[in-house]
Amino acid sequence: MADVEMRTESKDDDWVRIESNDGFSFLVRRRVANISGTIKNSLDTESGFSEAESKTYVAREYRGLIIQKLLEYMCFKAHYDKVGPKEEVPVNEFLERIPAEIVLELLLAADYQEM
Amino acid sequence: MTTTRRLGGRVRIVAPRRHGPEFSAQQTWSELSKNIKEIQNHNACNLSFEENHRFAYNMVLYRQGEMLYKGVKSLISENLEYLLREQVAPVFPSGASQESLQKSNEAEMLLKALKSIWDDHLGNMSKLGQILKYMDRVYTKAAEVPETWETGLTLFLEHIFRPPIKEHVITAILTQIEFEREGYTINRSAVKGCVDVFLTLQTSAGGPTVYKEDLEPALLKKSRSFYEAEGKRLLISCDAPEYLRRVENALQAEESRAHHYLSSQTALPLRQILQDCLLTAHLGNVISMENSGLDVMIDTDKIEDVARLFRLYSMVPTGMTCLKRALKDSISRRGRDINQSSLSVDWDEQDDAQGDNSNGKGKGKSKPAASGVQTLGLALKWVQDVLDLKDKFDIVWKSAFGSDRDLESALNEAFGSFVNVNSRCSEFISLFIDDHLRRGLKGKTDTEVDLVLDKTITVFRFLGEKDVFERYYKGHLAKRLLLKRSVSDDAERGMLAKLKVECGYQFTQKLEGMFNDMKVSIDTMNEFRNYLQKPGISKPCIELSVTVMTATFWPMTHSNSPCTIPQQMNKTCKQFEQFYLSRHSGRRLTWQYSLGNADVRVKFKQRKHDLNVSTFALVILLLFEDVKDDDFLSYKEIQELTAIDHTDLKRHLQSLACAKFKILKKHPPGRDVDTSDSFCFNSDFTSQLQKIKISTVSSKVETSSERRETRDRIDEERRHQTEACIVRVMKLRKHMTHNELVNEVTPLLAGRFQPNPLDIKKRIEGLIEREYLERCEDRKSYNYLA
Repeated sequence: MADVEMRTESKDDDWVRIESNDGFSFLVRRRVANISGTIKNSLDTESGFSEAESKTYVAREYRGLIIQKLLEYMCFKAHYDKVGPKEEVPVNEFLERIPAEIVLELLLAADYQEM
Repeated sequence: MTTTRRLGGRVRIVAPRRHGPEFSAQQTWSELSKNIKEIQNHNACNLSFEENHRFAYNMVLYRQGEMLYKGVKSLISENLEYLLREQVAPVFPSGASQESLQKSNEAEMLLKALKSIWDDHLGNMSKLGQILKYMDRVYTKAAEVPETWETGLTLFLEHIFRPPIKEHVITAILTQIEFEREGYTINRSAVKGCVDVFLTLQTSAGGPTVYKEDLEPALLKKSRSFYEAEGKRLLISCDAPEYLRRVENALQAEESRAHHYLSSQTALPLRQILQDCLLTAHLGNVISMENSGLDVMIDTDKIEDVARLFRLYSMVPTGMTCLKRALKDSISRRGRDINQSSLSVDWDEQDDAQGDNSNGKGKGKSKPAASGVQTLGLALKWVQDVLDLKDKFDIVWKSAFGSDRDLESALNEAFGSFVNVNSRCSEFISLFIDDHLRRGLKGKTDTEVDLVLDKTITVFRFLGEKDVFERYYKGHLAKRLLLKRSVSDDAERGMLAKLKVECGYQFTQKLEGMFNDMKVSIDTMNEFRNYLQKPGISKPCIELSVTVMTATFWPMTHSNSPCTIPQQMNKTCKQFEQFYLSRHSGRRLTWQYSLGNADVRVKFKQRKHDLNVSTFALVILLLFEDVKDDDFLSYKEIQELTAIDHTDLKRHLQSLACAKFKILKKHPPGRDVDTSDSFCFNSDFTSQLQKIKISTVSSKVETSSERRETRDRIDEERRHQTEACIVRVMKLRKHMTHNELVNEVTPLLAGRFQPNPLDIKKRIEGLIEREYLERCEDRKSYNYLA
């Protein structure tokens, strides 16, 4: 499955690594990572910062829990971005999965990550 | 994302970690500025994006946006100045070199350097833009300053594209373009790179690009002066086809230039310049260039060149007018030549008794007999020449002018004017048709003749005086029908149909009447023969064939000479008259001896021959039946016995005594017949042929007196037509002013001839006299009197 996608969307479909400050490491498609403007810019091969060289973005200010939620949203968005206008987007289900405790932290992170 | 939020029960929201007092704007900036410099040194790969983004984020967050913004700006400026110093300044053109290759190289270096710092700058700016994204999102909008990217462009404009550097670059670009125009190869991509910079930069936000503001005007100015000079140079050094080729090439070159390394928006003004400088300015000179202009191109069938000329000339508004004028000149010159050649040979010996209706070019009296055939030849040649010329221009029109309607009408106009200059065009065309319907069919297939006749119709269209043509055509047709010279009835009817299509039913009505008369006559003759078979009818001693012609249909130009016909002929004629009038009461038959002919068997010493002679000639010959072989009849005696008019008598005597077959002997011998001559039967006549046709000596082309007569008849007919037309119009309108009436009548008559307003006025006066119209009290308008 991955191979097929690699071939069809080779440009956006390579894997990139997102790391949190508490040692968690997440592998996502570049396509998903690009949902965040900040991560997208950091991994931009044109500009060639060290993140782009290593294909790894280290979010030093955020713990794994926050990153995980961010990535969850990014996957959610990447998936539902593509569906037609008729299909219902289950926004509320997603909202229910956000624990209230991390809402503020998540909000700040989302602002920083340009989402 | 929706804002619905589920706040379930007692939930504690933990405040995020504060950045606290450890933040120092100064320190952050010094770190960041160091990194920015690294980026500008192409060392981005050693830097962490996250770190720098965080720096910028923090600075904006701690309200140090202004410091960040200004700092970045000054860093960019410094870098630009550095790049300028290091990379561009060294390659500034020295200006000392005059050699164009050297200059071009210098220009290329400068353009390349500029392009390279531009690329460098853009790369930096995009990286900075990424790092400073948060600033762009939060600070610049609030502070109402341009975002990083725009700032970068503005700074580039300020530091690099400033006088005198900008002027240098523009000059370099122009140098390169001119170098290429001169036929050398340049590095197009270098130029394109720089032009792109010009195209990207705007003089102010939302304003025109620097390209539009500075480069394009300079470029156009330079191009104009270049092509102005080029136009003059080419005009001197090239012939017309070459000139046009060069122009076309230049147009293509500029087109490709504009699209390859300039802006496509420049293509149009550049093209305009080319058209102005190379075409509009020199239209007349090129088209009339000696030994190579349009005339020569057409002469030498250079269709491709003519087509190119048309393509180019149709681009500019004045081009078509110029082309049309040149074509008209060309045609009228050729037409003049054709007219000249038909006139000059013919009228070498101009008669003093020149027709007063001549056009001054010499329309004398043709030497009747001898030059008759020659004149016919000239008439045919004239038409053939016109047809050839028409063919030539038709080919040019089709293949080079793309069958352009506008030009077609110009061509036709030109043809029309020169054809009508020849005052005998109508007669010539009719003669030409006559010739083809008489003998042309023998050598050619039906389709070929049809083709020739079709072409003739196109020339016929040019005729202004169609009524004159009709008259001649009628005359010629009458001869063909009566003498049974017409080779094919189908061809005759085909021609008639063509004329009908051209001029309408009215035009051919009488001609069709003539055909009908011929048909009816054949029937009548069959009935007459049957009638003669009946018992109790005395058998005639000669066989008679009569063509009954309706007087109004047939031309009455032939001579109406009286003739005393011998008894045996007269008897049969009376018999026919009796027969005919018994079937059609109330008709009057008039014998037209001059149009008839007869077959007669003559016994000579050696053998008998069948002679085909005209009726008059037969009458003359029969006089000699009772005369002994060696006895003479004087001209006077013959005249008294036959009562034939002098002109006709002379003509027929001449054909009997002076032509190819000498049935009579003339004393004294000679070519012309004189009233003092006398004649005797030539019983020694020999010939290999059994049947001999004695054709009457006649000039097919009119002599001037005949022509004057024709002219008079035509004028009279026109008078009738004009009057009829006026009456028709007035009957409809009852009341009209003079001018209205003239304007109404003129187009109605134009199909047949070009009416003169003065003539129309005369006709109106004539009608007033005869009380068809009356003049109103205002002296300007007329009433119709029923």
